[in-house]
Amino acid sequence: MSDANPSAGEVGADRSGTDPVLRVEDLVVEFSTEKGRIRAVDGISFSVMPGEPVGIVGESGCGKTVTALSVLKLIPSPPGRIARGRVILDGRDVVPLGEREMRRLRGNVASMIFQEPMTALNPVFTIGSQMTEVLRIHRRMSRREAREHSIEMLHTVNIESPAKRFTQYPHELSGGMRQRVMIAMALSCDPKLLLADEPSTALDVTVQAQVMEEIRRLQEERRMSMILITHDLGVIAETCRRVIVMYCGKIVEVSDTRGLFAHPRHPYTSGLLASIPKVREKKIGRLPTIKGMVPDLADLPKGCRFADRCPKATAQCREKEPELVEVSPGQQVACFYPD
Amino acid sequence: METLQFAFRKILYAIPLLFGVTLISFLLMVYFGPDLTYSLIGKNPTAEQIAEVRTQLGYDQPFFIRYGMFLKEMVTFDFGNSLSTGERVSSILLRTVPVSFAVALPGFVLSELLALALALIAANHRGGFVDKGIMVFAVVGMSISFLIVVIVFQIAFCSIYGLNLFPVQGWVVSNVADYFHYVAVPTMVIVFVGLGYNTRFFRAVIVEELNRDYVRTARAYGVSRFRILSAHILKNAMIPISTRVIISLPFVVIAGNLVIERYFNIPGVGLITYNAITTGDLPIVKAVVTSTAILYVIALVFTDIVYRMIDPRVALNS
Ligand SMILES: Nc1ncnc2c1ncn2[C@@H]1O[C@H](COP(=O)(O)OP(=O)(O)OP(=O)(O)O)[C@@H](O)[C@H]1O
Ligand code: SF4
Ligand SMILES: [Mg+2]
Repeated sequence: MSDANPSAGEVGADRSGTDPVLRVEDLVVEFSTEKGRIRAVDGISFSVMPGEPVGIVGESGCGKTVTALSVLKLIPSPPGRIARGRVILDGRDVVPLGEREMRRLRGNVASMIFQEPMTALNPVFTIGSQMTEVLRIHRRMSRREAREHSIEMLHTVNIESPAKRFTQYPHELSGGMRQRVMIAMALSCDPKLLLADEPSTALDVTVQAQVMEEIRRLQEERRMSMILITHDLGVIAETCRRVIVMYCGKIVEVSDTRGLFAHPRHPYTSGLLASIPKVREKKIGRLPTIKGMVPDLADLPKGCRFADRCPKATAQCREKEPELVEVSPGQQVACFYPD
Repeated sequence: METLQFAFRKILYAIPLLFGVTLISFLLMVYFGPDLTYSLIGKNPTAEQIAEVRTQLGYDQPFFIRYGMFLKEMVTFDFGNSLSTGERVSSILLRTVPVSFAVALPGFVLSELLALALALIAANHRGGFVDKGIMVFAVVGMSISFLIVVIVFQIAFCSIYGLNLFPVQGWVVSNVADYFHYVAVPTMVIVFVGLGYNTRFFRAVIVEELNRDYVRTARAYGVSRFRILSAHILKNAMIPISTRVIISLPFVVIAGNLVIERYFNIPGVGLITYNAITTGDLPIVKAVVTSTAILYVIALVFTDIVYRMIDPRVALNS
């Protein structure tokens, strides 16, 4: 903890006078792998304000899921662990909390929706029993109350004949419907923060838009904070107020959405935006590609992690690592030569 | 109701399988099996005597008639008489099967339950001290020869060099106290011998389930670790586990535990089978092997039905 980086700036700092729902400070998450200990998330800081939808983008493996899992301390351990930093959820640092205390927060103060609706639900229990279990844990409802509330939640996420779906098993539902069930379950205890990890990526293209629309509507209606992880910058543009761009376990740019699209400052962000296919009729669900390879987390270059792929890289970039600094109001960049 | 339909269909599907296993038994043990003519006939037989015995045995009949006769034996439980004692094979089975069952069942059940408990504990502490301890114990248990286990337990519990609490052999049971008296040491041996294998298997199944996405979901919604293990994972794990348990049942009931019954001299199916194999008593071997095969098919059908009850994904038409 001695090498905590004080200048790893507080991002999205409190501007309105209210406290953020989530404040992550200098978070480091390590995994022991056969190649040695790697930092999947390396000293990131950001906050999410009440009612604010924040997007996280970045190529595969840059640490988006690990970041979201850290909020609820769901990092598989071993091999992973939170090595440093604070994760202040609803006013309380969760890093030192034990399992029992964490259980009270999970699905209650913050809920998570996962990428794979096909496997995220238990195949041998009904939708109803899985939904009511959550309510009975956090709300101590009777069986009947939990049942009624769950059916109402299914109705809220626009599932037809919710009472029937309640008694069915996951395999009897389509992917889109299962993801709606996950959303219903996530919102059933009225969490302050929703962590949505690529909630539509695994779905059919036609269903993706509907599920995202549902999430967007509910987030607005309930004035809920949200972290939306996605590969799809289009989805971010439609949904999020602010965007965090991650690269190789670090935050490289934070910006309000409009500013990011209008004027990306980090060369990586520019690359991402430039390579969005102009005609988006065939979404591939993956981030557009930038030339070059993402460095191996077990063998990182000395200076800027993006240097090998950056058109503007100089000798300084290969020597020192740039820090995240504010370059204009609401926009922060980790680059020596921001655009 | 749906489950009943499903069961019915599974039973129908099992019929060809039954023909298959009986045909193989027939081919191996009867059609291409040992010729019994000379063990049934006296010294210096005449050609007529030989022909007569062969007719009696049906050896002069065509293939399908002989297979038919074999099937009839199986269906009517009329397996002929023992070559060594002359006793009817069906009454031998009737006498010995319950004994084998009584000897093997407590050990079987205890071993499965204990293994399941150990596997749950090991999986819960995966990679940790407790897990490693249990697994070392399991591997050591697996690698000790059955015979050594029998001898050590017999010395420890049934001899003057040990506790000398239980009989070393035999089966004189007329009440519950007798039963416990005679079944205790065989049970300990069965538990000891099976525990390692079962624990390892169950642990592997449970660890695989632990890595599934639904476990992460349950954790992410505040479900306790105990409930995840005892409800979410266990119900999923019961699918492979129940298969293994049910499928090993026929061997417990019919084939018996050859080693146990032989070394504790318990008059179960295992012992008579052992003796029948060593003396070439074909009718007994034939009856035991074929019934085991048939029971095996029945167990398979039964696992399918249990599957269906545990796993809603098993569709009616599969
Ligand atoms: N269970 C694990 N064991 C070892 N390493 C892990 C584990 N989970 C994640 N990591 C490491 O953390 C890094 C970040 O993983 P993470 O899942 O957060 O990526 P991501 O940004 O969500 O990628 P994707 O877009 O593919 O979902 C990975 O590159 C991997 O090296
Ligand atoms: S610091 Fe240098 S190498 Fe890194 S993104 Fe900026 S210009 Fe490129
Ligand atoms: Mg991910």
